[in-house]
Amino acid sequence: MTVKKIAKKELARLLDEWSRQFSVLVPSVETGVAQMTGWQGEDTSFVDWYRNTILPPKDAILPVMEEMFSFSKNEDGYRLEMSPPDSGRQLIFGIRPCDARALAMLDVVFKQDYEDTYYMRRRLNTVLVGIGCTNPYDSCFCTSLSSGPSDTAGLDLMLTDIGDEFVIEAVTEAGRELLDKSQGMRPATADDEARARESRDIANQRVTQNVDVKKMPDRLLAAFDNEEYWRKIAAKCISCGICTLLCPTCYCFDINDEVSDNRGARYRSLDSCAFCIYTKMPVENPREEKWQRVRNRVCHKYEFYPRLFDTIACTGCGRCIRLCPVNWDITRTLNSIPGQ
Amino acid sequence: MEEKTEKLKNEARKLLEKGQVCRIVGFEPGSLKFTTTPLITGEKDELDRLVINPFIVNNLSVYLTGLKGCVAVVAKGCDSRSIVSLIQDNKVNREDVVILGIPCSGIVDLSKIEYLVGKDRDELDDITVANNSITVTVGGEKREFTKSKVLFDNCLGCELPTPREYDILIGEQVAPSPALESGKLKELKDMPPEERWRFWKEEFSRCIRCYACRNVCPACFCNRCFVEETEPQWLLPTPHWQDNLLFQVTRTIHVAGRCTECGECQRACPVGIPLRSMTREMYDLAGELFHYKAGMDKDEEPLLTAYEVEEAENFFG
Repeated sequence: MTVKKIAKKELARLLDEWSRQFSVLVPSVETGVAQMTGWQGEDTSFVDWYRNTILPPKDAILPVMEEMFSFSKNEDGYRLEMSPPDSGRQLIFGIRPCDARALAMLDVVFKQDYEDTYYMRRRLNTVLVGIGCTNPYDSCFCTSLSSGPSDTAGLDLMLTDIGDEFVIEAVTEAGRELLDKSQGMRPATADDEARARESRDIANQRVTQNVDVKKMPDRLLAAFDNEEYWRKIAAKCISCGICTLLCPTCYCFDINDEVSDNRGARYRSLDSCAFCIYTKMPVENPREEKWQRVRNRVCHKYEFYPRLFDTIACTGCGRCIRLCPVNWDITRTLNSIPGQ
Repeated sequence: MEEKTEKLKNEARKLLEKGQVCRIVGFEPGSLKFTTTPLITGEKDELDRLVINPFIVNNLSVYLTGLKGCVAVVAKGCDSRSIVSLIQDNKVNREDVVILGIPCSGIVDLSKIEYLVGKDRDELDDITVANNSITVTVGGEKREFTKSKVLFDNCLGCELPTPREYDILIGEQVAPSPALESGKLKELKDMPPEERWRFWKEEFSRCIRCYACRNVCPACFCNRCFVEETEPQWLLPTPHWQDNLLFQVTRTIHVAGRCTECGECQRACPVGIPLRSMTREMYDLAGELFHYKAGMDKDEEPLLTAYEVEEAENFFG
């Protein structure tokens, strides 16, 4: 596919240009936390400070909270009004390979048996422009999961940092079209491509956390009833929702009606299997004890999901490790499953 | 530090060997650079992993209500106050817990170092803590900071660095710090109310209701939090900023007289909401209105659960 390059100092102009067709999201700390927010023009300094966001970019497609429909009641009866998601096109610029892969995992869930309008409408209108990582965190372990800091899977365009310039590679047909139409691009030379390869190699080597995921579903199944093991590794977990709510592949949600007088709205918001009241509303939480909930998080990602969809539902982004208030580290658990 | 760590290991081993406790709750080195992580173990051969250093952030008393006794717990000054508060509230029996007191000279706030040097934790080569200063090596270059620049805010005005309630003290007494508290709370108090309202609206707009603030808090010991009640539903789980704010205000009031200012809520918050400004205000109010400091004396009546028949009832009026 097409490979081009652009100078970093041209980036603001490129994002301005894309802003005419898309609502462009870039990494920022404008809201007080690193997340993808609307491009405001000029400031591309994120290229230097940004390693990854705290809120995963899934937020732009599966938001923390959204209104599904509103309702009201008057003399004539009930009135229902859909609250469709914004159907404008959006472009997420700077998404990391781990987070782009994660969206592919969510896609399966939201379109396999039932197509979720809210998710799919945003998803189909989203273009993903990734930047390969040059400086992964010490908590990253993407290379253990058939991926890496320069993996292009799930992206439309991939940028590789080669110093003052980015090499841009089209990954999908949509990406190629966008690249062909964009101004200010120059063809990448063989030398540029060599530098991009070198940059990728260095990044790959900088991912040092290692997990052996061979036969993981079977190993977890074998350890499933080992209550003593799960109790031990779960002991320090405090059952907060950080690891799940900030996980790029977690998708559980809760639905609630907010009603006042004769009107209201139905919202869906992210839920977490770490919470003791998870699924309490329809029935009961079958995982009353903490160790069962910890086991569920690990097994959902590394056993149940792969059995259903042939891939591990974890991209090794490491958020659950670096943001955990007690440093509960999933890699330690995966590397210590009994019977290995 | 190494001396203290060795002493702790020995004491912990003796406690387990004599069968005085079934489990030790302490710290071990974390999986990431400069971090520590709670170690909860009843196995003697794991005790070698115990560590005491200036990065032992967690308030381990949060585990006590779940472990239900027969336990020895490592406690810094502030943590020991949380334990005392739990004893006052009958959540922990004094005789069921062995307190391994750690006189504490302050805990390093890695986010402050990250801010000062413009690098993330994992990009730092080394952090050395001396009596009054901290030296950070980054990219081969050494940078020295006074301790007050890089310790957690709540450590700066710490009133009880050495636990008062303990069974075994690991190390020499540390004197209380002069109040060097940075000015966030004052800044907020000086704001006109409208501006302050806007400030909190913005802060709570990014709350995702992960409840880490509540779950790391030893004072939040309710079996069922009010936000988890469904009949009646006090608060919806949908994270509208108004509900988020209401949750936090209610939580802050619920822990009044129990909050010992350990700062864990703010440290745990993944989206950086300055929660300590709220808890600190509540702490100060408890002091001003009732001359009460949480967790100082296990024999004292707890602030909000003790009631005298003679007390005026116009409080509700």
